[in-house]
Amino acid sequence: MSFVIVRDVIKEYETAHALRGVSLEVEKRQWLNMVGPSGSGKSTLLNIIGGLDSPSSGSVTIDSTGIDRLSEDDMARFRREKIGFIFQQSHLIPYLNAVENVMLAQYFHSMSDEKEAMEALARVGLSHRIYHRPSQLSGGEQQRVCIARALINSPSLLLADEPTGNLDRENTRVMLELLRKLHSEEHFTIILVTHDPFVSKWGQRIITMEDGRIIQDEPVHV
Amino acid sequence: MKRRRFFFFFLKSISQRKGRILIASASVTLAVAVVTGMFGVTVGIREKLGTELKAYGANVVISPQRGDYLQYEMVKAVSGIKDVDEASGQVFGRANAGNQVVELIGLDISSIKGRGWRFEGQWPARPHEVLAGTNIRDSLKLAKGQRLELVQGTNRAEYTVSGFFEKGGSEDSAVIMAIPDIWELTGLEGQLSAILVRGRSGRLEEIVSGIKGIIPDAAVKTLRQVALAEESLLAKIQLLMALVTVVVLFASAISVASTMGANVLERREEIGLMKAIGATWAEITLFYKAEAVLIGLSGGMAGFVFGWLSAQAVSKGAFNSFISMPFYISFLSLASGLFIAMASSYFPVRDAMKYNPAVILRGE
Ligand SMILES: Nc1ncnc2c1ncn2[C@@H]1O[C@H](COP(=O)(O)OP(=O)(O)O)[C@@H](O)[C@H]1O
Ligand SMILES: [Mg+2]
Repeated sequence: MSFVIVRDVIKEYETAHALRGVSLEVEKRQWLNMVGPSGSGKSTLLNIIGGLDSPSSGSVTIDSTGIDRLSEDDMARFRREKIGFIFQQSHLIPYLNAVENVMLAQYFHSMSDEKEAMEALARVGLSHRIYHRPSQLSGGEQQRVCIARALINSPSLLLADEPTGNLDRENTRVMLELLRKLHSEEHFTIILVTHDPFVSKWGQRIITMEDGRIIQDEPVHV
Repeated sequence: MKRRRFFFFFLKSISQRKGRILIASASVTLAVAVVTGMFGVTVGIREKLGTELKAYGANVVISPQRGDYLQYEMVKAVSGIKDVDEASGQVFGRANAGNQVVELIGLDISSIKGRGWRFEGQWPARPHEVLAGTNIRDSLKLAKGQRLELVQGTNRAEYTVSGFFEKGGSEDSAVIMAIPDIWELTGLEGQLSAILVRGRSGRLEEIVSGIKGIIPDAAVKTLRQVALAEESLLAKIQLLMALVTVVVLFASAISVASTMGANVLERREEIGLMKAIGATWAEITLFYKAEAVLIGLSGGMAGFVFGWLSAQAVSKGAFNSFISMPFYISFLSLASGLFIAMASSYFPVRDAMKYNPAVILRGE
């Protein structure tokens, strides 16, 4: 059974049909990129897979758990065990420094452990930025703190919505190399949304969305 | 350990918004101060009025129709009425001591013994020995055994202050002397300002009609009637106080709610992020509840202190003595502070929690 199973998901807003019937299976440890024009429903699908949003109809199963049937609190508990998020904006807490931001994710998961959080920052190359506030970090550094925060509780699924959207080419490359290294070490599954062809070549599989549907599903040709 | 971490993150988050929290706490302080002050004064007034007559042990008061006096012989006649245990006269007057005006109360000094008055010094044993209230003692700087010259019109006489008394009421600003002494000074020979009667409590109606039979044109009031008159006055005062209190509470609640609302709006992104990293409803709202508790308790405590001080100031002004605030008022203040802070942050927090994290976090 696939690790992520999306079946016939429809999402309707009052003003738009964001998803018009999407089915998708993602194997464990796969790195899947999602591309497509703006407004095609990529973020909506990603948020529904992460349980931040709920489908109008259809079902989502992650690691054999039907998440559309979970209560809000049970979804939160499921999320902290299994899922890490990275967004286009860093959404770091401004009054916490880098290591405290990572520790907050530990706190909600179980217990914060400063040493472990520091090691996580070291792995994303930020040993020298541990006590810096988000405002004292560059955009690339902020996104790397977000990687550390997303992976600190060893999730089995990493969801990233345009994680390089605000980065220049050089920082984008640094970030992707980092993700590739961590992915090969820790074997989590990645679903990454991007509209940048440079980024979409980094995974193993690309799906293309348009107007709320998946119109193409292909392996990455290297 | 988890709890220590909670306080770590909680302190980080509030230290970021000290100003706002101070404003919210100050509005709670204001509300609690008003509630505490009002409550304290009300309780204090009730206590003061209630003890005023009890201190004399009287339950019926006879007073003359306006401006007039009662006759001393009436005391004996009233004592003879069935079910009357005791009757004693009082004469009120005024005199000058140096350049100060002093209230005088003439009474049978033995009648106030052992009735909750505090005494110090010698009991008057000879004519022209008087007791001075503690306020008079302080303002005239009197010492035990000191001579005190009192002047009333063309009359003047020397007295010896044999001791002092304190009752915690307006009497503390008076000089108490034997009835013959006050007659001599004021020239009111044989006349009384009031007769205090102590009778069997179940028979007060009968006693009143007995008195009316002897002194038809006097005003006769039982303690219950006195209490009722005070009650209706108190009720009016309390209504006024309640109105003021409600208005202040309302204003304070709005202020706290808008502060909390602004806090929450600022933290919408933070709430969305917390949800994304797997925080439950209870775990997120714990931060806001703790904030409300902090604001409520600090505002409640400060409010209690200010309210208590202002109640004492009012009492000192009105009764020239402090009131004893029951201990439970401090709990009442804290509880009302907590209540205001919790209640007014409930809705803003609930609304902020409803925001869809997907919408906040995509931030387009
Ligand atoms: N909260 C919302 N309310 C109404 N419409 C929305 C909402 N979120 C997304 N949409 C609409 O759903 C469609 C898909 O949006 P989205 O998933 O963000 O696309 P993408 O991420 O591919 O750019 C768009 O037409 C968008 O306007
Ligand atoms: Mg998007």
